[in-house]
Amino acid sequence: MRSEKTIILALVIQLIIAAFSSFLVVGLVSLTDPGSTTGAYTVQMGVSGAASDELERIMDLGESREATVFQSETAAMSAFEDREIDAVLHAEPGSDGRIHIDAIAPDGDFRTTLIVTQVKAALTDLETELRLDRTNRLTRAPLSVPDRSDSNPYYGFTYTILVPVLVFLPAFISGSIAADSLAEEFERGTFGLLRVAPLSVPQIIDGKALTMIGIAPAQAGLWLLFLELNGTTIARPIEILVLATAMTGVLVVIGAALAIWVGVRREAQLLYSLLALVVFGASLLLPENPPNLVAKLAIGSPTATSYAILGTLVLSSSVGYWVVRNSLSRHTLGD
Amino acid sequence: MRADRTLRIAIWETTTSLGNLDRRTGIAILVVLVLLGALGPALLVSSPAPGADLYRVGVSESSSYHVVVLSEPELQAIDPASASLNDGLDIVIAGPNVVAKDTKKSKAAAGVFREAVVSYNTYLMAQERDRTAAFPVTVTVSYVQQSALQIEDPTEGTETNADSPNGSAGGSGIASTSTIAESTGAPDRTPLDETPDSGGDDGGQSGTDEPDSPAQTTVVSDAAPNEDNGPGEPVEDERVEDDVISSSPLDGFLGTEQAGTPTSISPPFPLESLLLAFVFLLPFNFVIQAYGSSVIAERINRRGEPLLVSPATRGDIVVGKALPYFLGSLSITAIIAALLGGGIRSVVAIAPLAALFIAATFLAGLLSRSFKELTFATVTISVVLTGYAFLPAVFAEVHPIAAISPLTIVVNELQGTPVAWQTFFFATIPATFSAAVLFMLGTGMYREEDLFTQRPLPQKALDALAAPLHSLWRVGLWTGLFIPFVLVAELLAVATLYLLPVALSIPLLLGVIAIIEEVAKSIHVFAGFERGRFDPGLRSAVSIGAISGLGFFLAEKLLAITQLVGLPNLDLGQAAFAPELVGLTPALLLFAPLVLHTVTAVISALGARRSRRWYLLGLLVASGIHLAYNVVVVSSLG
Repeated sequence: MRSEKTIILALVIQLIIAAFSSFLVVGLVSLTDPGSTTGAYTVQMGVSGAASDELERIMDLGESREATVFQSETAAMSAFEDREIDAVLHAEPGSDGRIHIDAIAPDGDFRTTLIVTQVKAALTDLETELRLDRTNRLTRAPLSVPDRSDSNPYYGFTYTILVPVLVFLPAFISGSIAADSLAEEFERGTFGLLRVAPLSVPQIIDGKALTMIGIAPAQAGLWLLFLELNGTTIARPIEILVLATAMTGVLVVIGAALAIWVGVRREAQLLYSLLALVVFGASLLLPENPPNLVAKLAIGSPTATSYAILGTLVLSSSVGYWVVRNSLSRHTLGD
Repeated sequence: MRADRTLRIAIWETTTSLGNLDRRTGIAILVVLVLLGALGPALLVSSPAPGADLYRVGVSESSSYHVVVLSEPELQAIDPASASLNDGLDIVIAGPNVVAKDTKKSKAAAGVFREAVVSYNTYLMAQERDRTAAFPVTVTVSYVQQSALQIEDPTEGTETNADSPNGSAGGSGIASTSTIAESTGAPDRTPLDETPDSGGDDGGQSGTDEPDSPAQTTVVSDAAPNEDNGPGEPVEDERVEDDVISSSPLDGFLGTEQAGTPTSISPPFPLESLLLAFVFLLPFNFVIQAYGSSVIAERINRRGEPLLVSPATRGDIVVGKALPYFLGSLSITAIIAALLGGGIRSVVAIAPLAALFIAATFLAGLLSRSFKELTFATVTISVVLTGYAFLPAVFAEVHPIAAISPLTIVVNELQGTPVAWQTFFFATIPATFSAAVLFMLGTGMYREEDLFTQRPLPQKALDALAAPLHSLWRVGLWTGLFIPFVLVAELLAVATLYLLPVALSIPLLLGVIAIIEEVAKSIHVFAGFERGRFDPGLRSAVSIGAISGLGFFLAEKLLAITQLVGLPNLDLGQAAFAPELVGLTPALLLFAPLVLHTVTAVISALGARRSRRWYLLGLLVASGIHLAYNVVVVSSLG
């Protein structure tokens, strides 16, 4: 019963994390990806100034923006303040032949990001077009820009941030719990009791560590399932779970070894947190770092290197576990 | 509480924790820290990205777009001869056209490729001599507050923002831009104009476009800083400032003005404040881990007993044991603030957050039954409090509420924006109060029965809640002290329910808010009855409920007044959180919520005096009435 509560707590924590991350992702996605969710949002731009014709024409090229022409900047600003339009673009031709635009976006609003993104997109289109007119004055011709697809700019975010976080977080917690579980036996003086039982030290370590190693990929698997149900396709779930198991193996071994070596929770946990950071940091130096590996497996673009690294991780994790388990049993027996 | 005893315990806590550290462990920690320090530069050099090579792009080496694909880390260039769209490729580049499949991934790949082409063009154009042909458009983005959707004020118009104290609000935002422009415009134009012939025709234009030219020069130096230093050299002070602002790492975040070419504009993205939150809050995780261990260690094998039987009071012990960790957190914060260019204001703003981390861990250490539970509690604390600090980004829509996070102050200081003292208090006081409340609750549990026995968690929590209720009036006081928690819980509810469709989320949100507020008004009342603090008679239950309701009402109004004083720009989001403020007559505005809070608190108190089951029933009825009230208020506004 006690351990079940612990797992529920673990799931609740991750639910909060996922809620925050998906709040960001879904919030932005629903605003930027027309038709994907309920919030198909078109940015209304007020256009004014002597060069407003060019701007108005450019506006029609994009799907999620619409232009309204105002006679003066003052008129546009007052419509803006009354929330009739989302942004004001006041365009005046400069004395050197450039067009200068004063863009006004709402301050401190959740829509600001979306609106500025659309303003940027519209003005970039204008820049591209005007640049084409002046190609004869340039020594290098700009590449022609392909048409805009209705892609979701935050598509990658789910795979590169959310999925790696959900896969690795249980691994880090598992290692920490493994350290707790053993340190508590020492601090309460119950490790001796365990050894009186007909169990060898490696068996005790196996029992404690393997549970923790098993829990992490199970949690990660549940998350992948949730994402899948939510419409995020995970291309290679099995490989991701193998990777999660390997990472958890490394971290649990570190946690267990430190707990036995130090014997006190505070120092063991401190060392564990720091070492876990070192291990994770060092793993980022691999040719394909683990978050990237997860992202590639999830999105479906693994390379041959990905599989080589996955194999290496699994191998080193298993060997590490075996070595530490056996050397620890000698260590504690010698005490 | 006596200062000398507290100090002695603090010193004792520091020396024993350092003394217990044997040489072996100490050396190990040092070695790991050195390793960590060595990893930093290595990671900076290799700069690993989680998004590398996500999309497979079929592009032949002869294509002029091949270099574009190579320049974008997210794209993987693959020879189209070796693979096809049906066989592993996401998009294929055929001349200037992109062939994509009808999948999300393929479209995303096309989007990334398009962005890569745009930035490649920018890179190409930065090497051009003819600046006006290479960058024909310049833009200045400024952020202006839109009028709030206030229902009761029909007179508001363009002038509303003029009297707002916020510097970037109203017309002043634009005004400041053009002031800079006008002061630098005329003298700068001639030396900077590289192509006088192109500007010749427009020379006769009206004066209105003159203010725009200095912004253009900023632009040029922005787009190609390596090249344009020559002509860009003789800049005036204002322009330099402008440049500094545009190159700040917090570009555009929370309304910094930006100037540049369209491609150089970076839309404000909340991830930056998340990053800031992590930089400041990550070290706290280590501190609370050590502190939590220290708290729970006292409880193992009755180690804390000698201290408890010493003449030191509970307060002495609790404060003394927490003090080293608090001071440690403060010094770490000071170092980080100094590195980031912040000052004393940032440290003072972060201090309540540090206290809140420690206070929550203290409570967790007292409530946990095992190390494992403590680890989970610690992780929960980290996540929830980091989320709380992250509110400015998440709740940008409910702007004034977002100021509740101390991180807002830090962001402001790093940007050099002045902070009104009201805003400062508004950002720091809730966290300070919350920390104090948690410490007081924990101190209530810091006694033999709770420390050394394995009591069930709910029983311990009831002990903690009942401990401070010495008199009836304390009930009202504690209800008021719960307000910061209520606010945070409601914000978290908004964050989570935001994901659901509006038709479902609004009623659900109103219900959740009703339950949260009713629990805050009654949970300690229930604890008081359970622990025999009050006479379980009918009259006493009614008066306790009424006092609790009154306490909630007063504290809520106090909060509303603080918001009005500190954050005058009421907008829709705030109206949602304090619906009573909008559109009702003053009498009703004060009277209705007072009646509501008192009546519902009395109902749950009546239940609480009998048993747990009756309390839950009372709570349910009270929440139902509260929900009905909320629905009426919201629909009468809508």
